[in-house]
Order: sequence, then structure tokens, then C-alpha cells
Amino acid sequence: MRSVQELLQQLHEIAANPRARTEQYLTEGKKIVLTAPVYTPEEIIHSMGLVPMGAWGGDMQLNESKRYFPAFICSIAQSIVELGIAGAYRGASAIVIPTLCDSLKVLVENFKYGVPAIPVVPMSWPQNRVPDFGKAFTKAGCERVIRDLENITGAKYSDGALRASIKVYNAHNAAMRRLSAVLRAHPEVGAAARSDCFKSAFFMLKEEHTALIAELCDALEAQGAGEAKTTPIYISGILADSPAFNALLDEAGLSIAGDDIAAQSRQYRTDAPEDSASPLDALAEKFANMNHCSVLYDPSKSRCAFIAEEAKAAGAKGVLLVLTKFCDPEEFDNPLIRRACEAAGLPVTIIEIDRQMVNYEQARTAIETFRDMLA
Amino acid sequence: MITLGIDIGSTTSKCALLRDGTELLATSLVAAGIGTAGAERAVAEVFEKAGIAPGEAAASAVTGYGRHSWGRADYESSELSCHALGARFVFPEVRGIIDIGGQDAKVICLDAAGRMSSFLMNDKCAAGTGRFLDVMAGILQVPVSELGAEAAKSAAPAAISSTCTVFAESEVISQLSSGAAREDVIAGICRSVAVRTAGLAKRQPLASPLCMSGGVAANGAVRGYLSEELGMEILFSDLAQLFGALGAAKLAWQKAK
Repeated sequence: MRSVQELLQQLHEIAANPRARTEQYLTEGKKIVLTAPVYTPEEIIHSMGLVPMGAWGGDMQLNESKRYFPAFICSIAQSIVELGIAGAYRGASAIVIPTLCDSLKVLVENFKYGVPAIPVVPMSWPQNRVPDFGKAFTKAGCERVIRDLENITGAKYSDGALRASIKVYNAHNAAMRRLSAVLRAHPEVGAAARSDCFKSAFFMLKEEHTALIAELCDALEAQGAGEAKTTPIYISGILADSPAFNALLDEAGLSIAGDDIAAQSRQYRTDAPEDSASPLDALAEKFANMNHCSVLYDPSKSRCAFIAEEAKAAGAKGVLLVLTKFCDPEEFDNPLIRRACEAAGLPVTIIEIDRQMVNYEQARTAIETFRDMLA
Repeated sequence: MITLGIDIGSTTSKCALLRDGTELLATSLVAAGIGTAGAERAVAEVFEKAGIAPGEAAASAVTGYGRHSWGRADYESSELSCHALGARFVFPEVRGIIDIGGQDAKVICLDAAGRMSSFLMNDKCAAGTGRFLDVMAGILQVPVSELGAEAAKSAAPAAISSTCTVFAESEVISQLSSGAAREDVIAGICRSVAVRTAGLAKRQPLASPLCMSGGVAANGAVRGYLSEELGMEILFSDLAQLFGALGAAKLAWQKAK
């Protein structure tokens, strides 16, 4: 069995260098399909023998993409186009972009113009995902993705292969849920390494990542409970992968007891049923069953109470809302989340982050003050 | 036990010396902040004023945006925690602190026992900060320390945007070219800072008594407009700009005793 450190180092290398993984898959003769945030139906891509590769942008200066976007828009969408223009996605056969927020809708069009070499496949999810007509809409959206990917890549779709891929993805979801629980008992792993564990999932075939995460969990459990003297917190937001941000948490002695980060645990909560009439019905059912997310329509905003309950159950002393600048869906939810958490006796602090951020001093002050407040 | 508190801000460096966490021995303020020799000068000055040797301080704590580059203090702490301690040192019952410094604004809420219950910092923007007043004072050729007194002469403050320093700068020039009285423009500028800060403060569950800290606290016009906007009395002390350093000295005493 490899050591925890060896496994974390491998996950770090994968998370920090997606290009190396892309080159490896391309060398193996595989075709890459980029998956933009959030909830791209990766199972379909995987079932067609293509490699889904996460495209959530990167921390960088935005220059060329500004030709296509207004100033006050999510920097995740902008940095995806910036990376595309810079050639970071070269070799990819297509990009699938879901349309769950206004910025992503804009991304669909701007990517076409900014990065013409990589065809765009939109995935239209319905707002009303639970009623039968909503599920039919989801199925139609998935069928469009299948048609476009068949035309672009030449790969073929089959129900049997999708059923098999759904099992692979459900197993990965379970592995990531286990990871979150195991890491809660091992605060010594730290926020930066925790982020690597989640981020690396975007750049690997899920069956490979599941195996790696299972090995890590086994190694951590074999070690026994960690003894780091940290203050456990719960974090919520879209992204929390910035090395500078995670270093601040580690330096402040704050450990992540649980998360509602879209790029981390939020995407792994719901499995697709394995006994549906058809695998596309299973994906529609999965989407209908998803909840507690800023970009999923929910008039009752059950997400707010959910976060407070999750944070309490995780033993968190407070909740840190990591707000991606100009993310309207998250901004709408934040006052309600704050209210729900404070009613549950959990102090809340919001820090705003951005893909273009180079100076984290204000964030450092907020995080250190939050630590002092929780002490 | 004598403890030293150092607050290295964006535009100024402040120090305070306390005996046994209760008796204020001396303070210093040097108009030079991060990346300058301001902090060294402030430290030398505070010991000189107190008439004691630096070696007599049993412990020290540093705060402010320049705290990480100081490297010689026994303890480090964020300026919000220190401002809260400093404010309670001067106003023992205080429940809320509005700190407007050189580059940002912060609102701190305390519970009845003085523990911080929540806080909020402004966006990364000069509007509503001391920097905004510096820029405007530069345009008007008025020392920033005199803005409050000039504003007090106004009967009808001019309308100045609270959204953006750059836009507000052109508004000020436009107001002046339209013949607006200088004192009305200055009052409008002070009101703009107050409106912006009140918007931030209203997001927090404010409780009385409330006080101001930071350099802008000395501007009576900003304090007055802020009080008006919030509908609450705002306590003021001549030590307001030194709350961070006072809190750091108090923190050093709490940790070292």
C-alpha cells in the first residue's frame, strides 16, 4: 500500500497539471471532451468511449477573453474562453457547456467565437426538472448531446454502454462521499490537499480516480484518526480550488469538515438510479432528484437549511461562504444561507474570490478574523 | 507588565504602550504605512514618549495589513480583532465598530460580553474609504484633515456618487465647474463616504452603542452623516485611529500575562 503522502502527491500533480493528463489520453488514442460547469452529463461522454475532462477555467489574468465578455461577469466563464484562446485545450474534440446560469449561456456563444477550433455542444437543462415534462426535457437535452457528439467525434452511443457508465459514476460518487467523511476525521490533510483530491477528479477517467481515492481513504483509515489542532469549518460556494485561498485556510488553522462547493461535494450527492426503464430516464431521474444548489430551481430554498444541517452534522464551528465574484445565483442565496446558519448558532463569514485574484490580503484578514471569532 | 501594540496600515503606522493591559502609557502615529520605515519610526517614537527603553516591553503584538512583513512581534492578529479590543478598551460597553481606514472599511459587531459575533469588509474598491477622501482632497487642494471642518460650513451638500471614486472625481470637477460652493462639494464628498459605509453597516445586526475607528473617524462630517444614515449615535474618541494599536497591546498582554 502506498503512503498517504505519496497518494496526495500524485493527486496534487494531476490537479496541478491537467495538460499532462490530456496529453497522456491523447497519446493513448483517446478523444477528449471538455466538460464545463455545472452538471455536464459526463456519463454520456464516458459511455461513448470519450474522456470527459473538466474545464472550470483557471486562476489567471484575463486579456483576450475580454473581447467577448462584459466586465461584470463570472471569471470562471471568462477564464474558460481565455484558456481556450491560449491553446490550453488543444487536442480536445468538443466542449459540452450546460446552460444553468446566465453566464454559462453567454459562455456557449462566446466559446464558439473565441475558440472556433473546438466545437460547442450545449446541454440544456430544464428549470422545472421534477415533473414528467421536465424529465422529458432533460432527456431531449441529453439526446441532443449524444447526436452532436456522434457527429463531431464519430463515436457511437448505446444504452448498454451508458448503463455501465452510470455504474462507474455512481461508484465514483460514493467514493467521493466517503472521501469527504474520511477527510473530516483527518484535518491534518489540510485544505490545499483536500482541494487536490476533488480537483483531480476533473482530469481523470472516473474509474481511475475512484481507485485512487479508495486507496487514499484506506491509507488514511489505516493511520487512525488525525490529531491536528484545527478549527473545523464548513465551506459553501462554486469553487474553492485556488492554492492561495487554501493556503490561507491551512495557515489560519481552519480545517474543512464538509463542503457545499459545486466543484467539490455538491456534484456527488445524487446517484442515477440503476434500474430505470432506460439509462436516459436514469439521467433525467438523477437530475430531478438533485437539490440544494444555487443553479437548480427551488422556490422553497431548502438549500439554506440543508447547509446549516450539514455543517452542524459535520461538527463545523462556522460556515465560510466562498463567493465567486459576479455569481448571481450564489449571491441571491447567501443572505438566506447566512440567516439559516446563524439561526442554527453557526457564525458565517463571506469572502469573495475571483479567478483573476492575485492579492489575497483582504481574504487573509477575513479568514484570520473568522478564526479568532470561532476560537 | 508593559506591552507594545503596533498597527501597520496602508497609509499610517500606529503604536500604543500599555501597562498591565489597563494603563495607556503612550501612543504614536506616523503618516507612513506598509513598505516604509513608518513602523520603525512609530515604535521608536512611542518608547521615547513613554520615557522607557524598548527592552522594558515584556511582549508585543502587531496588526494591520503590514503585520506579516514586520516579523519582530511576539503575536500577530487581524486588525478587526484588534480594533474590537481597542474599542472596548476605550468604550467598555461598545457593541459595534465602524472602521474606515486608508484602503478599506469594516463593520464589526460584538456581543454583550465583547466577543466578536460578526464582521463585514467592503468590496475591493476605494469608494467609501480614506483613499476616496485623499483623492478628493487632492482635487480640491484641501488638507484631508480639514475636510470635516470645511463640510460643516455647508448648508446644502452637493450630490456626489457613492459608487466609484473615479466617477465621483469627475462629478466633483463637474460640480465645481457648474459653480457649486466648495464647502457644499466637500460636504457631498463626506456624505458619499457615509452613505457607502452605511450601506455596508446595514447588512449587519448593529446594536448600540456604536463607535468609529480608523483615520476617517476624525472627520466629524462623515461621522455626522453616518449617524444620520444609520439613525444611531456614534461614539468618538481622539484615540479612534489608534484602536488597532491599543487592541494589539491589549492582546499582547492577554497572551503574555
